Amino acid sequence: MATLNEKKTCSERMENFRRFVWNPETRLFMGRTLINWVWISLYYVAFYVVMSGLFALSIYSLMRTVNPYEPDYQDQLKSPGVTLRPDVYGDRGLQIYYNVSDNKTWEGLVTTLRTFLTAYTPAAQHLNINCTSDTYFIQDTFDGPNKTKLSCKFTSDMLQNCSGITDPTFGFPEGKPCFIIKMNRIIKFFPGNGTAPRVDCTYADDESRSLEVDYYPVNGTFNLHYFPYYGKKAQPSYSNPLVAVKFLNITRNVELKIVCKIIGAGITFDNVHDPYEGKVGFKLKIED
Amino acid sequence: QDDHKLSTSDLEEKYGTSITKGLSSARAAEILARDGLNSLTPPKATPEIVKFLKQMVGGFSILLWIGAVFSWISSGIQIAQGAESPFDNLYLGVVLALVVILTGIFAYYQEAKSTNIMASFSKMIPQQALVIRDAEKKELPADQLVVGDIVEIKGGDRIPADIRLIFTQGCKVDNSSLTGESEPQSRSCDFTHENPLETRNIAFYSTTCVEGTATGIVINTGDRTIIGRIASLASGVGNEKTPIAIEIEHFVYLVAGVAISIGVLFFIISVSLRYMILDSIIFLIGIIVANVPEGLLATVTVSLSLTAKRMAKKNCLVKNLEAVETLGSTSIICSDKTGTLTQNRMTVAHLWFDNQIYSADTSEDQTTQPFDQSSPSWTALSKIVTLCNRAEFRPGQENLPIMKRVVVGDASETALLKFAEVILGDVMNIRARNKKVAEIPFNSTNKFQLSIHETDDPNDKRFLLVMKGAPERILERCSTIMINGKEEPLDSEKAEAFQTAYMELGGMGERVLGFCHLYLPEDEFPDTYPFDTDSMNFPTSNLCFVGLLSMIDPPRSTVPDAVSKCRSAGIKVIMVTGDHPITAKAIAKSVGIISATSETVEDIAKRLNVPVEQVNRREATAAVVNGMELKDMSLEQLDEILCNHSEIVFARTSPQQKLVIVEGCQRQGAVVAVTGDGVNDSPALKKADIGIAMGIAGSDAAKNAADMVLLDDNFASIVTGVEEGRLIFDNLKKTIAYTLTKNIAELCPFLIYIIASIPMPIGTITILFIDLGTDIIPSVALAYEKAESDIMNRRPRNKKTDRLVNEQLAVYSYLQIGIMQSVGAFVTYFTVYAEQGFLPSTLLGVRVNWESNAINDFEDSYGQEWTKYQRRYLQWTGYTAFFVSITIQQVADLIIRKTRRNSIFQQGLFRNKVIWVGIFSQIGIALILTYGLGHVTALNFTPLRFQYWFVAVPFAILIWVYDEVRKLLIRRYPGSWWDKNMYY
Repeated sequence: MATLNEKKTCSERMENFRRFVWNPETRLFMGRTLINWVWISLYYVAFYVVMSGLFALSIYSLMRTVNPYEPDYQDQLKSPGVTLRPDVYGDRGLQIYYNVSDNKTWEGLVTTLRTFLTAYTPAAQHLNINCTSDTYFIQDTFDGPNKTKLSCKFTSDMLQNCSGITDPTFGFPEGKPCFIIKMNRIIKFFPGNGTAPRVDCTYADDESRSLEVDYYPVNGTFNLHYFPYYGKKAQPSYSNPLVAVKFLNITRNVELKIVCKIIGAGITFDNVHDPYEGKVGFKLKIED
Repeated sequence: QDDHKLSTSDLEEKYGTSITKGLSSARAAEILARDGLNSLTPPKATPEIVKFLKQMVGGFSILLWIGAVFSWISSGIQIAQGAESPFDNLYLGVVLALVVILTGIFAYYQEAKSTNIMASFSKMIPQQALVIRDAEKKELPADQLVVGDIVEIKGGDRIPADIRLIFTQGCKVDNSSLTGESEPQSRSCDFTHENPLETRNIAFYSTTCVEGTATGIVINTGDRTIIGRIASLASGVGNEKTPIAIEIEHFVYLVAGVAISIGVLFFIISVSLRYMILDSIIFLIGIIVANVPEGLLATVTVSLSLTAKRMAKKNCLVKNLEAVETLGSTSIICSDKTGTLTQNRMTVAHLWFDNQIYSADTSEDQTTQPFDQSSPSWTALSKIVTLCNRAEFRPGQENLPIMKRVVVGDASETALLKFAEVILGDVMNIRARNKKVAEIPFNSTNKFQLSIHETDDPNDKRFLLVMKGAPERILERCSTIMINGKEEPLDSEKAEAFQTAYMELGGMGERVLGFCHLYLPEDEFPDTYPFDTDSMNFPTSNLCFVGLLSMIDPPRSTVPDAVSKCRSAGIKVIMVTGDHPITAKAIAKSVGIISATSETVEDIAKRLNVPVEQVNRREATAAVVNGMELKDMSLEQLDEILCNHSEIVFARTSPQQKLVIVEGCQRQGAVVAVTGDGVNDSPALKKADIGIAMGIAGSDAAKNAADMVLLDDNFASIVTGVEEGRLIFDNLKKTIAYTLTKNIAELCPFLIYIIASIPMPIGTITILFIDLGTDIIPSVALAYEKAESDIMNRRPRNKKTDRLVNEQLAVYSYLQIGIMQSVGAFVTYFTVYAEQGFLPSTLLGVRVNWESNAINDFEDSYGQEWTKYQRRYLQWTGYTAFFVSITIQQVADLIIRKTRRNSIFQQGLFRNKVIWVGIFSQIGIALILTYGLGHVTALNFTPLRFQYWFVAVPFAILIWVYDEVRKLLIRRYPGSWWDKNMYY
C-alpha cells in the first residue's frame, strides 16, 4: 500500500489556516461566505430558541404536575438524619476539641449554639401555638392563617440548663458542655409509632461504659405533638424540636468517640453508608 | 555464482554430492543447520510488544491516559490533605486506565486475528519436492531442501529452489513470475548465456515447470535464491497509511481538538469562577471522558473486520483491515488480463468451414455447442480435430465435467480436445478406433502437425492423413477445399474467401489454426505401407483444405458485467497485459474495457484513411499502448495518455512497466488498485494504494506484497469488494454520527454543572458505561446496514474532499441532535429531583452546600432535611435517570442513523435485523445496570422508578421526526442550502 505522507511544515500549516479563516479569492470566511454565515447563524438561533422553548415548556408542565405541599416521593427519606450543634467538621466527621482554660477555643462553639438558638426565642416562635397533648398533632385541614397549618411552639427555655439563659456559656468552661441534637424534618413522618422518640448518647466504641448525661427536655424525648411535619408551604413557621445533652463526666485530655442515637420505631441507625441516619457520632476532646 | 558454467562433475565436487545417490541424510541435515530452511523469510514483522504498545497509546488513548494521570494526581493531593473520600479519584483513574488497556487489548487481538487469517492462508499448501537422498527417491517438504540436493521435476511442479539442471526432457518453465515473459521457455542442460538469469540450464525457485521432466542440483535455497533477493527488495518499500486510516486520524484529531479546547476553556472558566484547582482538574477529566468516544475505535475495527469477513466469503481475502475501505475509494483498477479478466484457458471461439464463420460457446461450463453441425464438412473437420491431436485427459476423471478435467498437452491442443469431447463425446475411443500409424509433431520450422490414421470404417482400407497448423502454411499445401462435404478446386476466389476469414478471426485477437486432410489412395498405400516420418514417404501437398478453427482465452462470463458496474461506479479499468495488442484489444472490447462505440487513434486513422499522425488524439477515447512505445515515453506523455483517454489497454508490458503505470495513475490523484500474480509484480502491488494478488495463480511474494488476495482470481470479485468498501465507508459515517451525538449529552451536564452549580447530573463512570456498554452493539449493528441507493452508481469518493467525518456530520450530531438529547436528559434529571423534593429553582447554585460533607440537614424545596448520603444517593438516582434517558434517546438516534438521505420507511425498519439486536442489547444492558447492579454503590447506579424511563420518550420521538423532516427536505431540494448544510 502506498505511502500517503503529506508532511507539511509549520509555516505551510499556518498559511493554510490563515487561508481558511479568510480566503480572499473565494471570499470565504472560515469556509463560508459571509451571507452563508448569517443564514446558518439565524438557523441555529431559531433552533436554539425552539429548543429552549421546549425545555421551558417541559419544566413548566413538570411544575404543574408536582404537588406544592409535599413531594411525590420520599425514596431517600425513609429515616431522618440527625445533626449536632455545635457542628465543627474535621477530616473524619464531627470533631469538637477545646481547652477549658483557653476561652478562644470554646467561644466559637458557644456562639454557634447561641446563634442556632436565636430561632427558638419566644419572639421567633410567636406565630406558633402552645401544644400540650402528647400525641401526634394531626391536621387534615388548613387551620392556620393564609391556608397554612399550625405548628407547635418550641422555645429554647425548654432546654433548661442548656438553654443558654441560665448559663450563657453552655457549660463549656466547666468541662460539662451542652450539645444540641436535632432530627431532620421529613414530611408526614410519624416517628416512634405513638411513643415519643428519645435521644440516647453512649460511647461509640464501648456501649457498656456508662456516660453520664443530662437530657433536656427530660428523658431527651421529642414530643409527639411536633409530628408530623406538613412541609414548608403548610407550616412556614415550623421549627424542629430539639434535645440538648449535657455531658457531665468527660475525661479530660482524651479523645472520646460518642454517638447519640434516636431511639424510636421507624427510625433506623444501622445504615452502613450513612453515618448521620438516625444517629450522630462525634469526637470530643476537652483539654485543660 | 557461476554454477551454470560448471560441468556436472565440477558441481558434484563443489557441493559434495552425487548425481545418482544424492546427499546423505546426515550431510543434508548439516547443511540445513548451516543454511536454514529453504523458504523466504517473511517480511520483518514488528515485534508483538511494539504492536501492543502502539495500541495502548494510539487514538484517544493518550487523552484517557492524561485523564487517568490527572485523577491519580488529584487523589494523591486529596490523600495528602486527608480528605474524606480520597479514593474516588483513584478508582476513576484505575477505571480509565483499564478502559485504555482493555480497548488496546481488543484492538490488538483484532489485528492479530486478521493477520492470522493471512498466515493460515499461506500455509495451506505445503510444497513437496522429490529428492534423491541416500540413493533413494524421497518426497520431502520443499523447505527441507539444501544446497547439493538432487531434485526431480515434472510438468506442473513448482520449482522448489534455484536448480542447475543436469538432465532434461522436453522441459519448459514459465518464468513469468520472475521476468514477466508469458511464453514458457525451454530448459536444457547446456550453458547458453553468461548471465545466470538468461542461461537455459538454471531453473528458478517459485517458477513453474510447464511440461517435460528434469533433474537438477540445488544451488541456492531460501533467501539466497534469485526470487528471494527480489522479494527482500520489495519488502523494503514502506507500508503506510491507508485512506481510512487518514480519515480516522482526521476524526481523532477533530474530537481530541474539541475535547481539549472545551476542557481547557472550562478549566479556565471554573478557575475564574473560584473553583479550587483540584476541582477544576476533576472537571477537566470529566469533560475529556465525556468528549472521547471510548468505544468508537474498537467499533470501527469490528465493523471493518465484519466487512472483511463478508468479503472473504465473496473470495476477497483482506490482509489489512483498512484495505477494505481503500477498495471502496478506488478510482482506477489496473487489471491483468490472463486469468483475471479471462478464464486462463484456451477455448475454441470460432470455426470457419463451408465459407462461413460459426461461433462457438466460450462460457465456463459449456456442455453443448449450438452451431450447425449437419454439414459433412464439419464431420471431416471434427475428425481432423480429434485425430490430429496429442493431448489426452489424465485418466480417472470421467465424473468431472469436461471443462474441469486435467489435460496433458499444450494449451491449443487442450482446447481442441475439450471442444471435440463436448461435441463428439468420447474422443479417446474415436482415436482408438482410428489407429494412428505415423505422426510428425509440431515444430517451429514446418509449423504443422501431421498424423496418419487407419479409418474406423472397416470397408474403407484407405489411410487418412490429417494435418493442422498455421493457416497460411496449411493452405499452401492444399489444392482443393471442401465445401459442403465436396472437394472443390481451390481457385483464387476461394483463396480470397479464406484470406478474409483468416484476417477476420485474426483481427479478433484469436489464434487461428488451419485443418486439412487427405485420404491416401489404397493402391499406393496398402495396409502394410511403411510410413517413415523422417523421409516423409507420403504426400504432404495437394491436400484438401477443410476449415479453420480459432481459439482465444475467453473472458470470464461475469467480467463484462463487472466492468460495466465499474464504469457506472466511476472507476476506470485499465488493462495491463503482456499479451499481443490485438488479442489484448479484442478481449478489452469483449469485456467492455473498450466500449463498442469508442475508437483508438489507429481505428480513426483507418476509418478516415489518413496517417495516424494526422488524427486528433483527443478524439479517440480509447488507447492501446504497446510496451515498446511506453518504454520511449516521457512521464508527461504517459500522463497525457492517462488523462485524455478513458479506455486504456497496455499491451506487451513488462511488470516493471506496471509500476510506471501505477505511478502515472497516482500522479493523477487516483486511488489505484492493481492486480498482480508474479514475483516482480510485487513492487507495483506495494506501490498501489491497494495491491490485489491472485490466490490461485499468484506467487507467494505477490501475496505477501498485496493488501488483498482474490481467492478465485476473478475480476468480478474486485467489484464486489469495491461495493463492500463503499458500503462500509457510508456505514462508518453512520456509526460515527451515532456515537458522537451522545457525547454532547454527556458533556452538557459538566458544563451546566460548572456554570449553574447544580448537583452533578451524570458521573464519569456512568459515561463510560454508555460509551463502552450500551452503545457498543448498536454502533456495530450499523455496519450491517444496507446501502441506501445504488452505491455503484456514484463516483468514487474524492479522498481530499469527501471526508469520513465532515463538518456537516460533526455539526449536525453535536449541535442539533446532541442538543436535543441533552434537553431530553435534563428534563428527566429535573423531573427526578423535583419529584423527590428538589424543584429546579432550588437546584441552581447549590453545588457547594450540596457537596459539603459538613451539612447533614440540607433543606429541600418542601422544607425536608437531607443528610449528605441521602443527597448523594439522590444524585446517583439522577445519574441513572440521565443515563437511562440518553439510552432511550440513543435508540431514536440509532434508528435515524440507519439512513442519511432516505426516509426510514424507504429503508425499512426491519431489513437490518442486527439493529434490533442492538436496540434490545442497549435496553437490556441499561435494565441490568439499573435494576441488577443498582445496589452496587461503586457503580453509582440505583434502581430507578420505572416511569422515569419514559420521560425522554417525547424527545426521542422529536429527534426522529426532526431527522425525517431533514431527510425529506434534502430529498425534495437537492443542492439547496439545506442540502449543503444538513447532509453529512
